[in-house]
Amino acid sequence: MTSTEDTTMGGTDPQSTHQVQVKFTTRHPDIAVPTAPILVPANLKRYGLSQIINHLLDTSTAIPFEFLVNGSFLRTSIEKYLSDNGLSSESVLTLEYVRAIVPPKFQAAFQHDDWVSSVSVEREKRRILSGSYDGIVRVWNESAQCLYTGSGHTDAVKTAKWISATKFVSAGMDRGLRLWEVDPEPTEENSEISALAEFVGHRSTVEKISVDSSSGRVLSAGVDSRVGLWTTDISEAPKAPKEALVPKAKRRKGSSAGPPRYGALQMFEGHTSPVSGVAFDPKDSTVGYSVSWDHTIRTWDLATHSLVDTRTTQHPLLSVCVLPTLSLLACGSSARHITLHDPRVSASTVTTSTLRGHTNAVVALSPNKDSEWQMVSASHDGTLRIWDVRASESGSIWTIKREGEGLDGKGKVFDVEWSDMGIVSGGEDKRVQIDESPKGE
Amino acid sequence: NIDPESLLPKLPSPQELKPFPTTTATIYRGHEGKVRTLSIDPSGVWLATGGDDGTVRIWEILTGREVWKIKLGEDESVNSVKWRPGREAGILAAAAGDDVYLIIPPIFDHETEAAGKEVLSAGWGYAEIVKKDPLKKEPPAKWSKPSDKLADAGVAAIVTVRITVKHIAWHRRGDYFATVSPEGQNRAVAIHQLSKHQSQSPFRKSKGIIQRVEFHPFRPVLFVATQRYIRTYDLTKQELIKTLQPGSRWISSFDVHSGGDNLIVGSYDKRLLWHDLDLSTKPYRTLRYHQKAIRSVKYHQGGLPLFCSASDDGTVQVFHGKVFGDLMENALIVPLKVLRGHVVKQSLGVLDVEWHPKECWLFSAGADGTARLWN
Ligand SMILES: [Mg+2]
Repeated sequence: MTSTEDTTMGGTDPQSTHQVQVKFTTRHPDIAVPTAPILVPANLKRYGLSQIINHLLDTSTAIPFEFLVNGSFLRTSIEKYLSDNGLSSESVLTLEYVRAIVPPKFQAAFQHDDWVSSVSVEREKRRILSGSYDGIVRVWNESAQCLYTGSGHTDAVKTAKWISATKFVSAGMDRGLRLWEVDPEPTEENSEISALAEFVGHRSTVEKISVDSSSGRVLSAGVDSRVGLWTTDISEAPKAPKEALVPKAKRRKGSSAGPPRYGALQMFEGHTSPVSGVAFDPKDSTVGYSVSWDHTIRTWDLATHSLVDTRTTQHPLLSVCVLPTLSLLACGSSARHITLHDPRVSASTVTTSTLRGHTNAVVALSPNKDSEWQMVSASHDGTLRIWDVRASESGSIWTIKREGEGLDGKGKVFDVEWSDMGIVSGGEDKRVQIDESPKGE
Repeated sequence: NIDPESLLPKLPSPQELKPFPTTTATIYRGHEGKVRTLSIDPSGVWLATGGDDGTVRIWEILTGREVWKIKLGEDESVNSVKWRPGREAGILAAAAGDDVYLIIPPIFDHETEAAGKEVLSAGWGYAEIVKKDPLKKEPPAKWSKPSDKLADAGVAAIVTVRITVKHIAWHRRGDYFATVSPEGQNRAVAIHQLSKHQSQSPFRKSKGIIQRVEFHPFRPVLFVATQRYIRTYDLTKQELIKTLQPGSRWISSFDVHSGGDNLIVGSYDKRLLWHDLDLSTKPYRTLRYHQKAIRSVKYHQGGLPLFCSASDDGTVQVFHGKVFGDLMENALIVPLKVLRGHVVKQSLGVLDVEWHPKECWLFSAGADGTARLWN
């Protein structure tokens, strides 16, 4: 079985025949029911309540619904919920309903020769980019054909992202970022490509990059504790700094001099430990975020090259993603959980939600573009987990395991992206795995 | 009779003393044979390990990826690896047999690598300048250039001590390092200076079989452990300051608290002793939690009130150990967690342990051929 639902479902508790007043609410006008409280049998569980909503909506095909009460999915009967929480059965219970999520199904896997550190999906041409510890970047189509192989990096690739339908950027242990271009329509399978440009400035491994397609800019997270800001518009890119022009001692035999080199628009200092994640603000590309092992989330003004805010959390942070409509940053930690933060609000007024479930470091996060409350996480525990941030107390909704047989199915997962081609992930099992995006919201 | 323990205030529970490591996060697989020694680099990013297969390996700490390795000994274990303190250069000292290899692993950027080369090559010319004193006895070590093969791999200099080196300890400034060769009698301890490529034996007589030495974190003091005692020496006055009596029959390891006034000592007779140097030459506390010999004990050096011990019983035990700045309160010690995971092999368990310089992350080296990260 690829994935498991993390909780049990059922119809009713056999115990009693009491009734309770329930007010049903939803954030989705298209499936709204009357807001006046309704008397329902107290022994109903999710399934029975879902039937009531379907009846009220007079649906032709039943839509499965989930119910949220106080930030948690209702996993027991109403009766048990009330008694577990010391609530009177006389009170009106408010239940928010959402479309239930259908289990994600395994779809495909692309075998590599070494660990897959990074995945990125290009939706227009429906191509998947993978970065690997063998130092090579590869572009695949949906039918598992490798369209392009990019050599040039002199050490493991740790991150690779599409910046347009035909260009992408990669980076890793050789400390440089590379810009690559592919044809809109491939002429043959497995063409070899070389980088158009190399960008230098980091003094240690580049862990992650984040791209802003409209401006052509890239943010990088460095083990040297710095955040880099780069432009892929070569006409704007600064020359490479002098010390970086000394050739690296370890060059592969027979390799050419390498692509033209450029420098960064800015290297941001401030973090005191490796930076593990970066993101552009989706509404304002002059704002960038970074998270680090130093426990902090930093907000940077990319136009004035300054630090705007530092938010200190309790644990080393290993990943970040933006939940755009909610104006929240989700941060994965070495403490095995994910916390949600609103970077605009003063730290003293915020209570952060904590999403627990993973049993090892949470190293990648990706939002569901089709549902503002959902995201998927990747962990060194060998699983992906799907979360609904409205139900932070419930834990994850689904767990997706590795399909490959190696490593007891527990190989670390290093990256994930929730795309319309599916949930795409890569890891220690040397494969890119694609699981069908769960339907529903 | 009143049990004095019952009059003491209640200790905080482990729950109140979080965070501390509780589980294995990463397993470093690759060594063929026991992993004897490990060291985390000053930036807290690269783990170096050494073992019975004669190799030194370097790993990416969170992913467990082996990024580099070098074979140093054909039939010799790598008994000690220690990164040189300081972040401007990336230099690793590794002892295999009677040689200490000073290595610049090729994992750093050009500037860091160049700084390392400068630090390690400055001393080559020095020995030529210093005239040979006919009254002086032969120095305890010879400095030499490596073979081409080793030089290409990153070895910058080799210090040959002539008796198997079991332990390396750096002085905080990174110019001096000490080596311990337990079989060496009065030459068991040698102190080596990078900037001059020179070595000296500081002791004329041996007072027992030397097990370990460590430099004081900020005073010009050297701690020397024999099987039964730990002696502190003033390096500038060249005299003995005091002799600590941990009470154990055979000391295996010890570590000095970053505040400079407390010590933890591990012994083959399973005991962990905490010494408060202001209070007494006898232990402040004796902790008997392990079932077998203790191999390594370490304080967190980055400000967290944690220490741990590693044992042949296969476990690493984590303790809260808070040292108070004033003279009013003695150290507070609370056992926190027993970390299980390593497999005991041929009666050997966890052979070395070290804390991350900043986070409450713990690294352990096992006779089972793996190293582990716990958090
Ligand atoms: Mg004191």
